[in-house]
Amino acid sequence: MTANMAATIPGQSARKYDLGFARWVYENIEGGDKLSMCMQCGVCSGSCPLGTEMDYGPRKLFMMVRAGMKDAVLKANTMYNCTSCYSCVVRCPRGVPVQYILQDLGRAAARMGYQEAKTTDNARFAKAFIWSTRKFGRTDERLFTFKYYLSFGLGEAIKKAMANMSIAIKLVKTKRMHLGMPHRIKGTKDLNAILAKAAEIEKREQGI
Amino acid sequence: MSDRKAGVYLCKGCGIGDAVDMDAIEQVAVSEMKAPLCRQHDALCSDEGLKVIQDDIDGGEINQAIIAACSHRVMTDRFQFNGTQVVRANLREQVIWCHPANDEDTQMLAADQVRMGIAQAAKFDTPQPWTEGDFNRRIMVVGGGVTGLSAAREASLTGHEVLLIERADSLGGWAAKWSRRLPHRPPYRDPQDNDLGALVSEVEGDSKITVMTGALVTRTEGMPGKFTVEITRGGAAVLETVGAIVVATGWRPYDANKLGHLGYGASPDVVTGVELEEMLANGGIRRKSDGQAPKTVAFVQCAGSRDPEHLPYCSSVCCGVSIKQALLLVRSDPDAMAYIVFDELRTPGTAEEFYRQAQEAGVVFIKGKVKSVGADLTVTVDDALLGEEVPMTGLDMVVLATGMVPNSTNPDAEAEADEFQEQLKADINPAVPIPSAGFANGGEGEEPQEGFPWPWKDKTPTGGSILNLQYRQGPHIPMLADGFSDSHYICFPYETRRTGIYTCGPVRRPMGMAESADDAAGAVLKAIQAIGNAAEGAAVHPRAGDLSFPKIGYDICTKCRRCTVECPFGAIDEEEDGKPVVNITRCRRCGTCMGACPVRTIGFDNYNVQMISDMISAVEIPDEFAEKPRILILACENDAYPALDMAGINRHQYSAYVRTIPVRCLGSVSMLWVSTAIERGYDGAMLLGCKSGDDYQCHFVKGSAIAKERMSKVGETLKSMMLEEDRVISEEVSIADSARVADLIDRFAGKIGELDANPFKGF
Amino acid sequence: MAPNSQTILVVGGGIAGISAAIEAAEAGADVVLLERSPTLGGRVAGLNRYFPKLCHPTCGLEINYQRIKKNKNIKLFTMAQVATVEGQAGNYKVTVKTTPRHVNAKCTACGACSEAATSEIPNPFNYGLDTVKAAYLPHEMAFPMRYVIDGSVVGTPEGDAIKSSCKYDAVDLEEKEKTFDLTVGAIIWATGWKPYDAARIEPYSYSESPDIITNVEMERLAAHNGPTKGQIVRPSDGEPARKVALIQCAGSRDTNHLPYCSAICCLGSLKHAAFVRQQYDDSQVDIYYIDIRAHDKLEAFYQKVKADSGIHFIKSKPGSIVVGEDGRPTVCGEDTLGRDIYANAYDIVVLATGMEPCSAREYRVPVEVEMDDYGFIVPKTGNGSGIFSAGVAQGPNDVSTSVQTATAAALRAIQAVRG
Repeated sequence: MTANMAATIPGQSARKYDLGFARWVYENIEGGDKLSMCMQCGVCSGSCPLGTEMDYGPRKLFMMVRAGMKDAVLKANTMYNCTSCYSCVVRCPRGVPVQYILQDLGRAAARMGYQEAKTTDNARFAKAFIWSTRKFGRTDERLFTFKYYLSFGLGEAIKKAMANMSIAIKLVKTKRMHLGMPHRIKGTKDLNAILAKAAEIEKREQGI
Repeated sequence: MSDRKAGVYLCKGCGIGDAVDMDAIEQVAVSEMKAPLCRQHDALCSDEGLKVIQDDIDGGEINQAIIAACSHRVMTDRFQFNGTQVVRANLREQVIWCHPANDEDTQMLAADQVRMGIAQAAKFDTPQPWTEGDFNRRIMVVGGGVTGLSAAREASLTGHEVLLIERADSLGGWAAKWSRRLPHRPPYRDPQDNDLGALVSEVEGDSKITVMTGALVTRTEGMPGKFTVEITRGGAAVLETVGAIVVATGWRPYDANKLGHLGYGASPDVVTGVELEEMLANGGIRRKSDGQAPKTVAFVQCAGSRDPEHLPYCSSVCCGVSIKQALLLVRSDPDAMAYIVFDELRTPGTAEEFYRQAQEAGVVFIKGKVKSVGADLTVTVDDALLGEEVPMTGLDMVVLATGMVPNSTNPDAEAEADEFQEQLKADINPAVPIPSAGFANGGEGEEPQEGFPWPWKDKTPTGGSILNLQYRQGPHIPMLADGFSDSHYICFPYETRRTGIYTCGPVRRPMGMAESADDAAGAVLKAIQAIGNAAEGAAVHPRAGDLSFPKIGYDICTKCRRCTVECPFGAIDEEEDGKPVVNITRCRRCGTCMGACPVRTIGFDNYNVQMISDMISAVEIPDEFAEKPRILILACENDAYPALDMAGINRHQYSAYVRTIPVRCLGSVSMLWVSTAIERGYDGAMLLGCKSGDDYQCHFVKGSAIAKERMSKVGETLKSMMLEEDRVISEEVSIADSARVADLIDRFAGKIGELDANPFKGF
Repeated sequence: MAPNSQTILVVGGGIAGISAAIEAAEAGADVVLLERSPTLGGRVAGLNRYFPKLCHPTCGLEINYQRIKKNKNIKLFTMAQVATVEGQAGNYKVTVKTTPRHVNAKCTACGACSEAATSEIPNPFNYGLDTVKAAYLPHEMAFPMRYVIDGSVVGTPEGDAIKSSCKYDAVDLEEKEKTFDLTVGAIIWATGWKPYDAARIEPYSYSESPDIITNVEMERLAAHNGPTKGQIVRPSDGEPARKVALIQCAGSRDTNHLPYCSAICCLGSLKHAAFVRQQYDDSQVDIYYIDIRAHDKLEAFYQKVKADSGIHFIKSKPGSIVVGEDGRPTVCGEDTLGRDIYANAYDIVVLATGMEPCSAREYRVPVEVEMDDYGFIVPKTGNGSGIFSAGVAQGPNDVSTSVQTATAAALRAIQAVRG
């Protein structure tokens, strides 16, 4: 799906409580069919370790889905702050798979080209992570961290790197960070083939 | 009873014999009180002890047993001797357990307990039940909706003939209009078939049930077992005799025309839940404007309910009903959308599953308050979770979930005379503020706050009475706030202030079909009890089985009407000249009439003014130099007296100067008893009764309130006798006040101790 | 076929069972009432006050006990439960199992045994919040008014001392479990409920702090005859509990625990708010809720509690309750109306745990009944059946509704036995 296709999803009207967007979520988002069970009790947001970092907690995001507030939902940083701790899923009194819904909403937003999906800290971090994985078959803490910093621009990257230098030194001392040539796994090619296959499956499932 | 032979039995068990000199007590009984027989025993409640008493009875030695042992509240079943009167004198809970052993004052108290018991026995007659004439066992059920139909059927299944009166031309009531009913059986997920038709057929085919449709009850007189009702049908009146009455007049929807702010009347597509229900039952939901099936429907909850401008209460069923209707809508049309706008979603109990079903079906629930509904069907919601006012547009239909108004009156009938309108006003305010800190510690806290009046308090139901009772106290069945004819007692939901007349279903409390049918069964059982007890001359709850009843000495009666006014149950009517007539099977035996009577000519065989006066007089009053004041306590037998017993069980110690007499209700307290006490030289008197006021706990409704009122006049009397007003006080004591009551007594005794001795001592 | 027995068996001596028994008996039926514990009264006997009138349950119990004492149609067995049932409507053969009280009918309730006892056991009446002597009166309103001797002293010198302290030969340490048979025509199950086990709601840390209590424990804390004589204090240190959180739906309306709404907890908590506010002028009570379910006229009670400036309503199902560094329980969650993430510390936190029918987990109903997924016994109406349910055995009912269902069950049982 492209950004253009996003326009075909209902919910573009300013009308509140336009059920179109909610229905789209029910039908297209993993776990979305359970979203209608939400009774807005707030236990998910209240259980979320990163709740304070989110634009909206999961509960409010779900309410906005129901209210048809598509843009606000897909622009939110909520989805990218989820650490998959599953507290919300375990505690939800209505069996709503909160974490799955958030993850898939985040993917949908990215696919639809919502910039927030690409510019949040978590998105940059994920990108750097996948770069390192693809390149070396593993995370190289030094390179992948710097790659992440670089997403803010060179000047900002150097600033961030300097600011975290003491941590880096400690990591090196305790052999948590490796200096010198990056280690690679043997079958990066195979790994990339697996990742490509996964992407293909995902696309097929999305019906694109 | 002319040939009384009273035996006094002194129990030495449970430490009584160790704490009190029982030989001295025996001397009091025999020498002073002239008891013909007195025996001591180590444990009267043991088989051997009981045998001692039984042998005396069998040998013709006694026909009254005065048992001085534990409280009458325990060993009640043991100390029962067929046909022999038993009087209990409490030496355990209220003497040795709350006063020091082998103490002069404890000894004097124990002796006085026995003196009072002997005095009581001397005026105690075994009540002969009133069973004059014929008692009818037929039950009249008023109202032919789901509640009334269920009541009729339940009564018939229990073997009673039934007269079923329905105002409309056919049976069924509102429930007959419903397409489907709320789920009341597992798995509680789907609307269930409306099986009312089957119930109507059962009733119509039941040979024990006589159905009268298009009929109104236009007059009711008589009493349980002997009600005469006038039923008017098509202009003609017939008289029928019934034994008891079940009122199942149900409800009516709140008038939506009063809900202009919710768009009713502005658009034909703003409808009430009842109107939607009729559509569902008649082919499906259609817009009134264009006959089209609506695609997007909003349900507005609490339309008129929980609204100080309209109905202050929650109508209980509307959340479930809207869920049902929304479910039926979205299930019948996959493209349809339903929104339910609610403030608090109330699906108690297993109805929570029904709520989940609606969510699963895609019904959207919005928490907020509807501010307005426009003619274009724009619903403006103050969305509580979004925190803003949101206009919902594009709706095809708006459904107002209007509430239930109880048919405690017949709105179509003419109102009764003005003098009876007062009866329609709630006598309690359910929103009376909760007493603030300090209350629990003995009423020393702040004055209660003003609070806010419950909005319905000053509104009265419109229309005429349901039964047109020919009672001195008016034609209506008493109702509480909000117009519901309910009981004020949590433990006793079928408590009624009109014995033999029981309300059930939504006229009592907002409720759905399943609960109404159950409630009907409960009310029928109470009606059956009322009939059975009436025929045996026995009282119903709370003095169930009591065979005594008030007798009026007409030669002395001044026709002052106090008894007829104050009877909490409307049991006493007046003849034209004001002569009071007790309708005995309406009477609940509280004795409020006895307390009201200024010439003390009302009494019961086993409870009367003279008996208690004699008990008061039997107490030995030490002279003023002894510095042993005496304080009379008249204690409500259900709460204050048990609280005193429990003070004993908990070994709370308090002044031994008090002499306690249990009374049926503070309402039965004759002011003569207080003046007798003062004249006899008591230094003070305390009346201990239940809570009065809005959350009253008095089991006889107003007894303790009436006693307070009467007490306000005692002060004047005391002043005229040159005595301090605060020698006589009235306190509210609950059954849980075992610690507090001891403290209250000590404080009062302390105050009395500061006053000079009553100058009437020894007069 | 005419029924063989016209006796109605009522199983359970709580408010529903008591009411069913008395109402049937006062309509002339013969009734056998069984109660598993040593005294009648069930859960309501342990309540401090009822909503909305804030009156004491013992007041109504006193009336009911007087009605039982005066009614010859009722036979009462305490410490007795149904073991087996065979037969059909009009003719059930019921085997009843009794557990030893170690005190017989000769007991005068003089209390000498309790004075002789030296060991203490957790007090069942106060949900174990305090202890009681091993020879004890269940409480001051116990009916029958008779002591109980805990089995732990049997065969000990203490037991012998207790036995010899009794002047009335009422102590029977040899007493064993017994069974006896009854033939009855109809049975009313009024077996009531248990508070949902709060420890199962792990994020609420019930087991982590003595200051996190349940609503039934709050009743005992507020009761004049409770472990603190009615002082609402922190169980940890006995200091006044001036800042109190009440957590609604602790277990109820939750598919992980009790999927249904227990229907009484909102009103119970409104009452608890009143308890605290009555006791301490400067107190603050926060009620965390999803929906306040004050149905019908009980709305008035909600409104008047709401009018108190010291009581706040927070629409939120808390995520967790943690024990803070200072030992105070801290309630964490999201205020759904303000969307603030909060972490509020309290003196005590009261979990409004729901009602679980005893028939769900506690015991197996030894006869075929229609039961829903939650363990409630579905009420029967109409002809043909001799088995009925009342009170919370039937559904999550408040006291008035329980009495209502009990009265209805009594009528239907009478119909069954009279054929």
